[in-house]
Amino acid sequence: MSDTRFLDQGAPPERFARGWHCLGLAKDFADGKPHGIDGFGGKLVVWQDTQGNLNVLDGYCRHMGGDLTQGAVKGDEIACPFHDWRWGGDGKCKAIPYARRVPLRARTQKYPAVVRNGQLMVWHDVEGSEADHDVLPPELAGVGTEAYTDWTWEVLDVPSAHCREIIDNVVDMAHFFYIHFAFPTNFRNVFEGHVATQFMESTGRPDMDGAGYGDEGLVLKSEASYFGPSYMINWLHVDYKGFETEVILINCHVPTGPNSFKLQYALCVKKPEGVDDATADYIGKRYSETFKEGFEQDVHIWLNKAPVQNPLLCEEDGPVYQLRRWYEQFYVDKADVTPEMTDRFEFEVDTTKANEYWREEVARNLAKKAEEDAATPETADA
Amino acid sequence: MASFIPSSADTLEDMLLYTQARLTQVACLDCLASVGVKKNSEHHTSIQWNAAALEACPEFARWDASPLGREIHQGCARLVASIDAAVREGHIDIGAEDGY
Ligand code: FES
Ligand SMILES: [Fe+2]
Repeated sequence: MSDTRFLDQGAPPERFARGWHCLGLAKDFADGKPHGIDGFGGKLVVWQDTQGNLNVLDGYCRHMGGDLTQGAVKGDEIACPFHDWRWGGDGKCKAIPYARRVPLRARTQKYPAVVRNGQLMVWHDVEGSEADHDVLPPELAGVGTEAYTDWTWEVLDVPSAHCREIIDNVVDMAHFFYIHFAFPTNFRNVFEGHVATQFMESTGRPDMDGAGYGDEGLVLKSEASYFGPSYMINWLHVDYKGFETEVILINCHVPTGPNSFKLQYALCVKKPEGVDDATADYIGKRYSETFKEGFEQDVHIWLNKAPVQNPLLCEEDGPVYQLRRWYEQFYVDKADVTPEMTDRFEFEVDTTKANEYWREEVARNLAKKAEEDAATPETADA
Repeated sequence: MASFIPSSADTLEDMLLYTQARLTQVACLDCLASVGVKKNSEHHTSIQWNAAALEACPEFARWDASPLGREIHQGCARLVASIDAAVREGHIDIGAEDGY
């Protein structure tokens, strides 16, 4: 028997998570045109009807499989480009322009949809349950009013990783130092019911020339909660060199296949006193770029790493196994959700030793850099 | 139905090890709640609640009843004090095994 640790890559689940998933900013779908969204192993069609409601159906026509996302909105319905069958937001075929009657069985898959905080949310459940409105993410007071900037919206494609990789970030204290270039000085998790939360305080590393969050002047106080399997609200108090901003970052995703997903993020900023709208928007864009760098750093890791069912942990690590136990509730039938998956669990990570070591490492890096700078003669206007 | 499927029995053992090993039951000094506690170091704490414990805690009941609902980050200060007392009295071993 060998003492070598076995890396259990396991197998990804056969289903997609039950819960609310965000497809984008509601306003981006409100142009009277059909929109295609990759999701849940297929394609969804989104359109706005004459009442202003957003409707979401499976993207493929139940007649002969036409691509509804390439069809047209006619009245309240989406019309298929192949033979013009008209599908209503309730999933029923309302009319077939060349037929005596519509077959009774002409019903397609509809995704219950809700606009929350200006974003389109759809309910997905392989069991076909009623949408559970009690587990929608909370409404954000003031967002969508003059008090906040408009949402930014970005999408990153992750073609070869399971979306559990991004969930794992909730407990991953140490990666903030190595991947995002920050000292996580305070780190705590709480899981309960359908909500998983990370509380973190961090300061940027001074030895990273401002890459990622690596800026000594950047101090974050962050409270980030997943409401269900895919939608995180991150309340961020950002102190950049004494300039304080309240930022709300949405980090959400839609699984596209058994081993792929689209990572999406949105950000808005509470307009600081005495700052005009253009400047506030600019601040929002700058933060969006900072977080984009952060997400890209994560994505790079995920695209190259192996999936692991049996992570080997040290004392300084967060509660990966408990987080995954929580996440499991979205991948089993509702009737099979166990108390262990949803019971409240609290975990305070000890960051003291880690930060001692990291401070030493950074001091060494800075000293080395100073030495190198001193050794390289200034090339004045080469 | 299994979702993330491990390919080895050892993985299931690891799951139990990391989630259940070395939990000491600590009773709250102020209410009937009893929770599982682990301390890998002085600054680390892991607290496992169950439904009965949560129901017994008046602090959580108070937060649930408040008009804004419970704030996510609230833990119970009385329970924390009870854990500290249990540590002082030597009921909880501080220190980790092999990373768990
Ligand atoms: S395939 Fe859609 S109308 Fe025929
Ligand atoms: Fe990350």
